[in-house]
Amino acid sequence: MSRRLERRPAFAVTVTVVFFAWLYLPIVAVVLFSFNSVKSLATFQGFSTRWYVDFFHDSSLITSLTASLGIAAVAAAGSLILGTMLALGLERIRSRSGRAIGAVTLLPLVTPEIVTGVAALLFFTGLGMKLSLVTVTLAEITFSIAYVTVIVRGRLASMSPEVEEAARDLGCTPWQAVRQVILPTLVPALLGSGLLVFALVFDDFVLAFFTTGVDPQPLPVRIYSSIRFGVSPAINAVGTLMLAFSALLIVLALLVPRLFHRKTSTLDLIAGGERP
Amino acid sequence: MATREVTRPSAPATPPAGRRTSVQRTKLWGTLLALPTAWIVGFFVSSMVIVVLLSFGRTQRDGRPVFGTRLTNYDALWNEVYLRLFLRSLTYAVVTTLICALIAFPVAYAIALHGGRFKSVLIAAIVVPFFASYLIRMYAWSALLSDDGVVNSALRKAGLGGVQFLNTPYAVIGGLVYGYVVFMILPVYASLERMDLSLIEAGKDLYHGPLRTFFSVTLPATRAGLFGGMLLVFLPALGDFVSAQLLGGPKTYMIGNLIQQQFLEGQNWPLGSAMTVAMMIGLTVLMVIYLRATTTRNREQA
Repeated sequence: MSRRLERRPAFAVTVTVVFFAWLYLPIVAVVLFSFNSVKSLATFQGFSTRWYVDFFHDSSLITSLTASLGIAAVAAAGSLILGTMLALGLERIRSRSGRAIGAVTLLPLVTPEIVTGVAALLFFTGLGMKLSLVTVTLAEITFSIAYVTVIVRGRLASMSPEVEEAARDLGCTPWQAVRQVILPTLVPALLGSGLLVFALVFDDFVLAFFTTGVDPQPLPVRIYSSIRFGVSPAINAVGTLMLAFSALLIVLALLVPRLFHRKTSTLDLIAGGERP
Repeated sequence: MATREVTRPSAPATPPAGRRTSVQRTKLWGTLLALPTAWIVGFFVSSMVIVVLLSFGRTQRDGRPVFGTRLTNYDALWNEVYLRLFLRSLTYAVVTTLICALIAFPVAYAIALHGGRFKSVLIAAIVVPFFASYLIRMYAWSALLSDDGVVNSALRKAGLGGVQFLNTPYAVIGGLVYGYVVFMILPVYASLERMDLSLIEAGKDLYHGPLRTFFSVTLPATRAGLFGGMLLVFLPALGDFVSAQLLGGPKTYMIGNLIQQQFLEGQNWPLGSAMTVAMMIGLTVLMVIYLRATTTRNREQA
């Protein structure tokens, strides 16, 4: 590298610094005011945890929190199973119908979420199903399969097929080869995408909004209804807890592949980047 | 990763165990595909079909939606109020996409070329908040920008007087940019990482000046990332309704708000379905034009 390239471009660096400030400003504000001792959202009067105490004593908020955790867990498990099956099938099958299926399964990724939400609402009511946490979970699984498939396929594509061939030569049935050779190598990708889906579903508002019943509601839907009645410090406390929890999950999802000493991390798969 | 996939033969050069295994294997892959495909067709595809069917239906007097074969819902869309709203959504989404591109290039450039060993940490620092609750982040802006929020009380203290941020197009577009800019930064960053950085240096020698270098070297080399990012931002921005709901008002409502009202407030599901279908058709047409234009250009480039 020459010296010219090492010199920092003032413009790009300035934009980046301003960008990071803008990115974190609202997050810092939510966290800060969640510890405010008074109701004001403009001035910080003193440190207090009263809004957190309020939250943990609000049984309907706690019910919503448990509901969201349950939905996220079931949706992560369901989409992991279906998404991995899909990834294995798509990556290895070499037919025209395989490619067509591949395209169809990516559709949920490029469809605006509101469209998916509307369609799911009509689907469930059309079948005469009562809207509840079950319908939310079914919709979330459908929406999350594509994420798992994309990440797992990325990992499969970088695996050399020779290992699997070797297992077959040693007398494994195709299913044994999958179970004993491919699945163990996929563990980091599976953990990473499972955590990612858990975080996405736990936070998801739009799809949950369209497919939920009245009671109990998933946490984001519950928060949305209280925001519409005005800003309150209690929301800051819930928001802080949610931000911290999802941040933790995402950081874990990013770190998992590193723990397994893999060169590609989940982040690279999301960014589509390659290490030089 | 990608290169290895390309060089890998699509079938083993010498199938070790003859024909029977390959039949057996195809059967396994087919079995694995069956369940998830059935799930996606059963839930996703069929629910889309219901939306299309209901868009030709009507609402009965008792409020229940029924299927039909009438075009009345589409006729109803063709009025000035709705058309203006469609145009507004389109404008917001396009402006959002452009602003995201303007932010993404310098940020991705600074990180890719000058991030050093902090590259991954910096990218993670961008990704982590974006995967955390979209709703909470929009709420955070609405609290910051409200009339008695931090920004306005600071302005008043400075003697500048309050500014009404909320209920303006600026707030709504700002929210959309905040919500989706990561989808532009990541692909642009990835294509910058992939390009040969000595080209930029050569460009500086050749063209003298960062702007000319950017337009004749960096931009063409990162075109794929930019085009991909534009799609990833435009699609969710056009369908968004949370930003306009929390940071805007009726004057800044987008298609998403209109659809949401038909389903959860107005209870005119057939009309809402027609709006949804109209939006999807509009998006598909735009997408086809866009993909055609960008792929021919890429081909010319190659």
